[in-house]
Amino acid sequence: MRTTHVSKWLLALMFFMFLVLAACGNGSGDAIYSIEDFSENASTEGEAIDGGTLNYGLVTDTTFEGTLNYNFYSGSFDNEIIKWFDESLLSVDKNHKYTQDGAATFEVSEDHRTFTFTIRDHVNWHDGEPVKAEDWAYAIEVIGHPDYDGPRYDSSFRNIEGMEEYHNGEVDSISGLEVVDAKTLKITYIEGTPSLLAGGIWPYALPKHIFEDIPVADMSASDAVRKNPIGFGPFKVEGIVPGESVSMTANEDYWQGPPKLDGVTVKVVNPQTIVQALKSGDVDTVDSFPTDQYADVETELTNVEFLGTVDMSYSYIGFKLGTWDKKAQEVKPNPDAKMADVNLRRAMWYAVDNEAVAKQFYNGLRWNANTLIPPSHPDYHDSSIEAPTYDPEKAKQILDEAGYLDTNNDGMRENPDGEELIINFASMSGGGDIAEPLTNYYIQAWKEVGLNVQLLDGRLIELNSFYDKIGQNGDDAPEVDMYQGAWSVATDVDPSSLYGRQAIFNFSRYASEENDRLLEEGTSEKAFDPEYRKKVYSEWQQLMVDKIPVFPTLYRSKLVPINKRVVNYSIGADFMGLHEVGVTQEKTFKAE
Amino acid sequence: MWKFIVRRLVITFPQLILLSVLIFLLAQAMPGDALTGLVDPNIDPATIDEQREKLGLNKPWYEKYIEWVGGVFQGDLGQSFRYKIPVTDLIEERIVNTFWLSVATLIFTYMIAVPLGMISGRYNDTILDSSITGYTYIGFATPLFIFALVMLWIFGYHLQWFPTGGSVAPELKPGTLEYVLSRIQHLLLPALSIALIQTVSTVQYLRSEIVDTKQKDFIITARAKGASESRVYNRHILRNSLLPIAAFFGYEITTLITGTIFIEQIFSFPGMGQLFIESVLQRDFSVVNAVVLLFGAAAIVGALLSDIILSIVDPRIRIK
Repeated sequence: MRTTHVSKWLLALMFFMFLVLAACGNGSGDAIYSIEDFSENASTEGEAIDGGTLNYGLVTDTTFEGTLNYNFYSGSFDNEIIKWFDESLLSVDKNHKYTQDGAATFEVSEDHRTFTFTIRDHVNWHDGEPVKAEDWAYAIEVIGHPDYDGPRYDSSFRNIEGMEEYHNGEVDSISGLEVVDAKTLKITYIEGTPSLLAGGIWPYALPKHIFEDIPVADMSASDAVRKNPIGFGPFKVEGIVPGESVSMTANEDYWQGPPKLDGVTVKVVNPQTIVQALKSGDVDTVDSFPTDQYADVETELTNVEFLGTVDMSYSYIGFKLGTWDKKAQEVKPNPDAKMADVNLRRAMWYAVDNEAVAKQFYNGLRWNANTLIPPSHPDYHDSSIEAPTYDPEKAKQILDEAGYLDTNNDGMRENPDGEELIINFASMSGGGDIAEPLTNYYIQAWKEVGLNVQLLDGRLIELNSFYDKIGQNGDDAPEVDMYQGAWSVATDVDPSSLYGRQAIFNFSRYASEENDRLLEEGTSEKAFDPEYRKKVYSEWQQLMVDKIPVFPTLYRSKLVPINKRVVNYSIGADFMGLHEVGVTQEKTFKAE
Repeated sequence: MWKFIVRRLVITFPQLILLSVLIFLLAQAMPGDALTGLVDPNIDPATIDEQREKLGLNKPWYEKYIEWVGGVFQGDLGQSFRYKIPVTDLIEERIVNTFWLSVATLIFTYMIAVPLGMISGRYNDTILDSSITGYTYIGFATPLFIFALVMLWIFGYHLQWFPTGGSVAPELKPGTLEYVLSRIQHLLLPALSIALIQTVSTVQYLRSEIVDTKQKDFIITARAKGASESRVYNRHILRNSLLPIAAFFGYEITTLITGTIFIEQIFSFPGMGQLFIESVLQRDFSVVNAVVLLFGAAAIVGALLSDIILSIVDPRIRIK
């Protein structure tokens, strides 16, 4: 009889748990948000107290690598730590273009090839040594060194005169690099392009007096990077617990003035507990907040303000129009590719309702995209370009006119030659619970207009295999006809690393002379004129909308919650006031 | 006995070699490599190619294997691509955290298991026993990652009795008393979360052993000789019932270094479990190989330890 007793209790318990679980599932709000309603700057007003410690969370379920130097790091979380104690010598504006407000100023020569940089006085490393021109030159020499093991050596370095010879070990010094005096550095580039002004110059210095004695190959593993990193930023590293936290104190000698805060603690917070950590005031702010959780928790988190900005990325759908020619190291368009007809691609763009996707899946925190330059580059993004938006009738009409008709009455269109048309769609797993329904939605939408699109392999593909298949190594899988991906964009607007003829990341393998011309114009000397550059990239955006090698689907937002005790904080690209960030009270606010 | 241990260790050797080949081949068979994640327009594909060449990722697998094994024999497990430091340093950093967490967990596990198992076995089929068994069934059914989240929510965030993440408070200096106390404080909640779930199987073992032992003839003899009830239970029954648990202990020791992935993630506690899963996901091959080899070796040694412990505590078992 006891057994029945127990089982009754068990049943009750299970029922209770079921209710709890069911309640959990109901949290999702239906509200629709817009990035326009978010500000980049914390709105808290009030007097900051003298001191206080800011708690900064890194939202990740992994650890951070701990390569704490701009010249060597590769993980984005390391970057989030370094930015508190070191900084770029050059400041940037909203378009990520260098300005004259940073720790160094610069002059450009007539031919746009020679840059002369002057480091301000009072810019000192944390150990009191002044930041010198030779420290800056040293950073460039180390990155260009054959033994360097970080990911930063790229075309912008190869553009420095004499760099290739130095990198190949033929000469001992870089001819384009000249230390004029203690505070002045002159760099000569092979080509003067406007890209130089938007991320094309290496703006980080490396303290030579510390790194001098370390062989280049051992630098990234050295204590000077991992245990006692220094910089010239507003805070100094005090202690590091590997993989989990870093504590910093104010650098009273900071060149923009002493920071208001006493210190900053950066620590890893698991994405599953981030909401709790914010609610209880355990962290003041985080590097970025999972936007898909926003709708569920927005009302609960009464103690924080959400800041928002346009993320430097977009989602897109790409069509395979060729292959990669490994010998020539360039794309090889195939005019007979299954997706070669632009009308077919255009119809597929008309067939999908990205506005609805944005609202249904992302509560409006992503939104319909029109061009391949996202609004995170406000000067270059052309919002006036009219790209196809959801219109299934139009899609059908285009397909009818292009000869894609249902000739065998199976409900699906055949190609103009009357052969069966099956389009293989590769899609990546990850991105939470949304990836699968989203992919299914797209396939369904294309079916509505009569196109037989099949999910490649019948399932979502894991990230590594996905990029192998669509050709990150140049081995494009022939079975892929189209794919769904996302790009984060560089600080420079120049899209040739993603769509150029020589770009291996040009996964659609599209190339045309007009495209080559525009991409070249965009980085030509003439394009130093901002109006001209704008015009070129508007034309390029229009070209991509006309030719559709890929079509953008959604732009994304980035949300950052911040405790209401924090003042003067901002997530804008041009923010350089970390030393002015303060708190209005010793303790964080907790949610009621 | 020594002969046996040596013989076992000799057998272990080919096992480890086989294991290493398997690990190596499986790791190579994974799509992508450590540089796949760098599909990023900010990073030049030519740079990635150059690094691949430098890291030797383009070599055939047997060349890589021979290089790797050569390194292992010299105590060099290679360089982690992601962390850019020697794998041995990386493992050293993490294994300390995992070791102390596991020690705390083991202590809690036995602190809970022994009294509960004894009570449950001694008073079997009473309400007390039923509630303890009830607890063990719930424990079996509860996924650790949900339980840990609930624990963290209640004791970490809501009541704020324990720190909510990390292995130590960020601002403390190693070597001070505060540092040690902070480390212990950080261990309590994750260790307790694991122990409360992990202990249930030990409770059940102990319970059934006691129920079994107390019907044995020698117990009746002990009672007939006039031994007090507490003496019967504490000396005669408990000792004999602990045998299987002692045997189990060898295996438990292997968990000292393997870590618990869920707990480590939820509590942002950098340990071996997390290192392992991260290295697999990021294709940090040298770390994957080293960690799996270490886990494999630990499992083999653990099995050996179990046998040895058993032969020491149970005179009936003699290794020949």
